[in-house]
Amino acid sequence: MALVTAALPDGVEAPPRRRRFRFGRIGPNLVLLAAAVFFIAPLVSMTRFAFQKVPMPLLHWSTILDKWSLSALTDAFKEPTFGSTLLLSLKLAVGTVLVTLALLIPTALFVHLKLPKARPIVEFLTVLPYVVPPIALVAGVAAFFRPNARWFLNSDYSLIPFYVVMALPFTYRSIDAGIRAIDVRTLVDASRSLGASWPATLRRVLLPNLSSAIVSSGFLTTAVVLGEFTIARTLSKQTFPVFAYDYYGRKSQGGIALALMTLVGSTALLGFFTLLTRTKARRQLISRS
Amino acid sequence: MTAELIEVEGGRTFGAAPSDTAVRGRAARRGTAWLGLLPFFAFLGLFLLLPTYGVVRKSFLAADGHATLSGLSDAISKESAAFRTSLKVSVVTALLGVILGTLLAYAAATATRPKWLRSLVSAFSGVAANMGGIVLAFAFFTLLGRQGLGTKMLTNAGYNLYDTGWFDLTGFWGWTTVYMYFQVPLMVLVTLPAIDGLQASWREASSNLGGTTWTYWRRVGLPILAPSMLGGFLLLFANSFSAFATAYALNTGSNLVPIKISFFLQGDIAGRSPMPFALATWMIIIMAVSMGGYLLLRKRAERWRS
Repeated sequence: MALVTAALPDGVEAPPRRRRFRFGRIGPNLVLLAAAVFFIAPLVSMTRFAFQKVPMPLLHWSTILDKWSLSALTDAFKEPTFGSTLLLSLKLAVGTVLVTLALLIPTALFVHLKLPKARPIVEFLTVLPYVVPPIALVAGVAAFFRPNARWFLNSDYSLIPFYVVMALPFTYRSIDAGIRAIDVRTLVDASRSLGASWPATLRRVLLPNLSSAIVSSGFLTTAVVLGEFTIARTLSKQTFPVFAYDYYGRKSQGGIALALMTLVGSTALLGFFTLLTRTKARRQLISRS
Repeated sequence: MTAELIEVEGGRTFGAAPSDTAVRGRAARRGTAWLGLLPFFAFLGLFLLLPTYGVVRKSFLAADGHATLSGLSDAISKESAAFRTSLKVSVVTALLGVILGTLLAYAAATATRPKWLRSLVSAFSGVAANMGGIVLAFAFFTLLGRQGLGTKMLTNAGYNLYDTGWFDLTGFWGWTTVYMYFQVPLMVLVTLPAIDGLQASWREASSNLGGTTWTYWRRVGLPILAPSMLGGFLLLFANSFSAFATAYALNTGSNLVPIKISFFLQGDIAGRSPMPFALATWMIIIMAVSMGGYLLLRKRAERWRS
């Protein structure tokens, strides 16, 4: 609704604008407020539960600032299996991200550059993991891999391919969007005509330009791996989420503290990498001008 | 002639080097270009298609090994309560998710101040939509469980949640509330692009022709958003139906299909009974139908996006 205002003659000042409360926005603003409350409340209550040693029946406005401590979390650190499970989950996360990128970046580039006809098929295949949810996938793993390839399932790293499959819809979409955002054909042609080999083109042209897509898909993958419970539990792998779940059964405060730590940790990681790629991009822009 | 060889896809480069183009054309015509996708197909084949095939195959095998359809029919008849509860939860959470998600997406998409609001909503939705599982269940235990902070605040305000008889975090409305935490953000993620597609010029055209806000929504806005909303419903339905970890952490005895699959799998190590596999096969069929519907509707919705 553009307002057409006639230009004022020179020398005449516009009257000061009064701030009017915009009644048109009251509905949407209420929705946003309600949503904010709903989505933040569990995080607040989680924090209070994990770090305040006041049981709920004794909690009043008078005791609200009492007995806050991180001991629930530090006790969890002292568990013998804490370190090993956390390390395993981190290794699985790194492994999953690497396999995902190694598999999807060439595939997505290939579809864009050489074989666009394959696009519908590839996109369909990347949605397929949605159709076979983790619980069905793990049933399939039990059905197929247990009798035929038990040696494969014995390794803890056997979780990696299944995590890659689980994260596929998000990661492929992210990388695909990143490729579409840059003019990949021009970049590749320019790089190749200047004499760069394919690996060099990949390393020096494509990967830096795709860095934000890589970061966001890496983050999504890490979040999936650090939170994945179904497959790990059913295949009896001692990953961090399995440990946290069992620990919660024994010490509820500690279990919740661990969950909070995972959440904060992965969000911080995302923020860190987002900033990293943003400053790098800005630096490159400055150095090029 | 060269038009065939230079792709239209992302084709801002019409001056592509001829040798590269010719190579591309030759390879594509010979079909060997597909070899480049071999790793991708092989990976998916091994780690997605083979397990799926294993599940479907085992659902047709009775305990003694002969082929039968009774596995599939037994799954429905014996676990009909689980199917009904799963379907009920999925439909309810999908409906609520669609309504609340669309409202939230509209509020975020049309907000002009502060400027970072939309990116915040979008980023948070990305995180929350994938959050699920045990972390979410734990969080809601601390908020709306019997000893939860929210429960206590509500009791102090005079409304005892657990006395009402219809709310229990480990029961139907408990699951529904918890599921909203990832259903609404998922709907927001899917709907934001669609709302962006509602051009301001259409709104202005409608007012110019004498329409009110209600007229605009009834004759222009909602019909255009309808495929997205319906598709979103199917996506949310599928998402809710397949959720396992959250339901498991809330109540290991929940009468939901994914929980039943896990229950039968853990109890039957030899893998003889077709029950968990039959349940999983039915689940795959339901998911395939919903996801197929979602994709079709999304294609329709994209007609309005330039």
